[in-house]
Amino acid sequence: MHLKFDEQLDLLNKELITMGAFCENVIAMSAKALTEGNPALAKTVPDLSAQIDHKEREIETMCLKLLLQRQPVAKDLRVVSSALKMVTDMARIGDQSADIAEIITMANIQAADDTQIVHDMSVAVIKMVTDSIDAFVKKDIQMARAVIDYDDVVDSFFDEVKKMLINIFSKPETDGEYAIDLLMIAKYFERIGDHAVNIAKWVLFSITGNKEGNL
Amino acid sequence: MTKRIFRSICLVALTVFLASIVLIMGVLYEYFSNAGQSQLKMQTSLAAQGVMNEGMEYFHDLKVTDYRISWIDTDGRVLYDSKSDASEMENHLEREEVKQAVSNGYGESRRYSATLMERSLYSAQKLEDGTILRLSISQNSVFTLFLGMMQPICIIFVIAVILSIVLAVQVSKKIVKPLNEIDLDNPLSNEGYDELSPFLRRIDSQQKQLMGQKAELHQKEDELNTIIGSMNEGMILLNQKGKIISINPAARKLLDTESDCIGKDILSLCRNLDLQEILSGALQGEQGERVILLHGESYQIDADPIISENIIKGTALFFFNVTEKEKAEKIRREFTANVSHELKTPLHAISGYAELLKNDMVKETDRIPFAGKIYGEAQRMIRLVEDIISLSRLDEGAVDMRHENVDLYDLAKRAIQSLEPEADASCVTVELSGTPVAYNGIGRLLYSMIYNLCDNAIKYNHENGRVTVDIQDEENSVVLSVKDTGIGIAPEYHERIFERFYRVDKSHSKEIGGTGLGLSIVKHAAKIHNAKIDVNSCIGKGTEVIVKFPKQKGNQ
Repeated sequence: MHLKFDEQLDLLNKELITMGAFCENVIAMSAKALTEGNPALAKTVPDLSAQIDHKEREIETMCLKLLLQRQPVAKDLRVVSSALKMVTDMARIGDQSADIAEIITMANIQAADDTQIVHDMSVAVIKMVTDSIDAFVKKDIQMARAVIDYDDVVDSFFDEVKKMLINIFSKPETDGEYAIDLLMIAKYFERIGDHAVNIAKWVLFSITGNKEGNL
Repeated sequence: MTKRIFRSICLVALTVFLASIVLIMGVLYEYFSNAGQSQLKMQTSLAAQGVMNEGMEYFHDLKVTDYRISWIDTDGRVLYDSKSDASEMENHLEREEVKQAVSNGYGESRRYSATLMERSLYSAQKLEDGTILRLSISQNSVFTLFLGMMQPICIIFVIAVILSIVLAVQVSKKIVKPLNEIDLDNPLSNEGYDELSPFLRRIDSQQKQLMGQKAELHQKEDELNTIIGSMNEGMILLNQKGKIISINPAARKLLDTESDCIGKDILSLCRNLDLQEILSGALQGEQGERVILLHGESYQIDADPIISENIIKGTALFFFNVTEKEKAEKIRREFTANVSHELKTPLHAISGYAELLKNDMVKETDRIPFAGKIYGEAQRMIRLVEDIISLSRLDEGAVDMRHENVDLYDLAKRAIQSLEPEADASCVTVELSGTPVAYNGIGRLLYSMIYNLCDNAIKYNHENGRVTVDIQDEENSVVLSVKDTGIGIAPEYHERIFERFYRVDKSHSKEIGGTGLGLSIVKHAAKIHNAKIDVNSCIGKGTEVIVKFPKQKGNQ
């Protein structure tokens, strides 16, 4: 199939949005499995993650082809190169969601008050991922910057989780495994937030051409 | 246009110019030639006279510049020539003019020089001694004259061309002006060339036709837009690449999008994976439907491929809000589960007591109470089944029940009477106040409404409490009010108490009795009569249920 350049770019855009939708889906599933303490639901997550990895390779191939065959310049070059970087972050979001799900499948996590704060954190992270993809879809600079700023909220959530876990450890009848699982889940969420920030930065780069912050 | 007119004008001007030059030159040249010839003839005769008188002597004195004089002997030998040496000249007997002179005594001829640039006129006269005297004069030929006039001709030519251009521009402007000024919007109002009127009439008729079609099209589009615009369901049309061709306001609101989303990808508005799946299916020609969550509400999305001439041209997406439907579905499922549960409980009791009796494990003295318990549970089941039957009939809209004129006051009196044993048992006084009111409604339903309301008022009352039933005839409505001094209902339950099997205090339902369907029946009965139910309640103080029946107008 021989497409025109702009049609190829259009297709790339579409594929990126689809991959973004996959990411939103996979992180929402993990979060839901965590909130409900539902290991069965968590077991479906790795499949989704594999789908995301597949999509990543597809988009990578597409980008390389575009670079080789069309030798884009200026804005087109920024779009293609930032797409190439964005898919990596998206794939990492998928992987980390799968990691969260894997911890949940161990069935050490039950829906409890302790998980509430982690749940709140997951809501914040999902918002970041959704907004970063929305910023990409709408090419919205303001929104992308908001995502970058919102990372502080997620970081403060992580600090709260840490404090809560320190409290748990100080009690005599502590389930150490449970606490560490919770800590890891929180850390993964925090990492997902960072990837969302990266996506937002690449969105900014593809629009403005300036690399803001340390990418 | 200008070019053509210029060409024609130029051609005409030059043709006329050239023709006149040729004509004038030809005529004048001939005239002057003839004049020259006759002058030459005179000169010749004069010279002949001289030669005859003086002989060769004549030539010696002769100073001629214009003429060339030759004297030719009878044998053609040249005796004298004023221009060249006579001895070297050839025989002149064969010359045209000489020949004529020999035979006629006078001859003349005209000859062009080799280059055609000059013409010589000859005139020869035979002298008395037989010799011939010839005079000749050179004249510019017509071509030489023409060449000499080349400069003025050229100037005139240029002037003609310039004039032609100016004229052509002017003329074409004049011709084109009415054409340019034609008002094509009102073709018949133009006064231009008569030759154009068939065109204008044709344009006019076509314009009218077009306007008609346009108006029709607009009307159809408006109709369609109104229909699509006022639809509650979201509708989006996509082309085969998934780009939005048309989107109605409902869909726009649903997807939170501004107006300029036409031409954008549907993915940029909604990234839902289920939606994408049915979309790609639809683009392959498969119909698909999914239920997805948007803004916390369930929407059923139908994707239908638009196929024309066996080619998939796009997709039509429809969004239906199915939140209510799903809720109703959920209530129905819960109802079924509740009914089974409620029916099972008395059956278990009956079966347990019956088993004990069957195995003869009951003391003689306990037989009667056991039978009483079985009877009581069976009665409860009967009540339950009756309630369910009446509810399901109400669900159908009470189609087989007839409206009749009833007296609400009378119905209330009967209901209170039949509840007297219960009231006495719980030490509750029931009062009836108000006036008899004739009302057109379904008597059985109205009765069961009042019965259920009073029943609840008695059941959920304190000891020595009071129940007041009041019936008032107001201007537009009949108001039934059942007020008790009972335990009251917390505000958050006011909506839920009308649900089937819903009980505020679930733990004591068994002692209080009842099926849990009473208020449900009240609600449905009220709905059938278009009546409105209000609940005023305060925990610990009591509850007042007010049912307002609209008069005649609303109820058939």
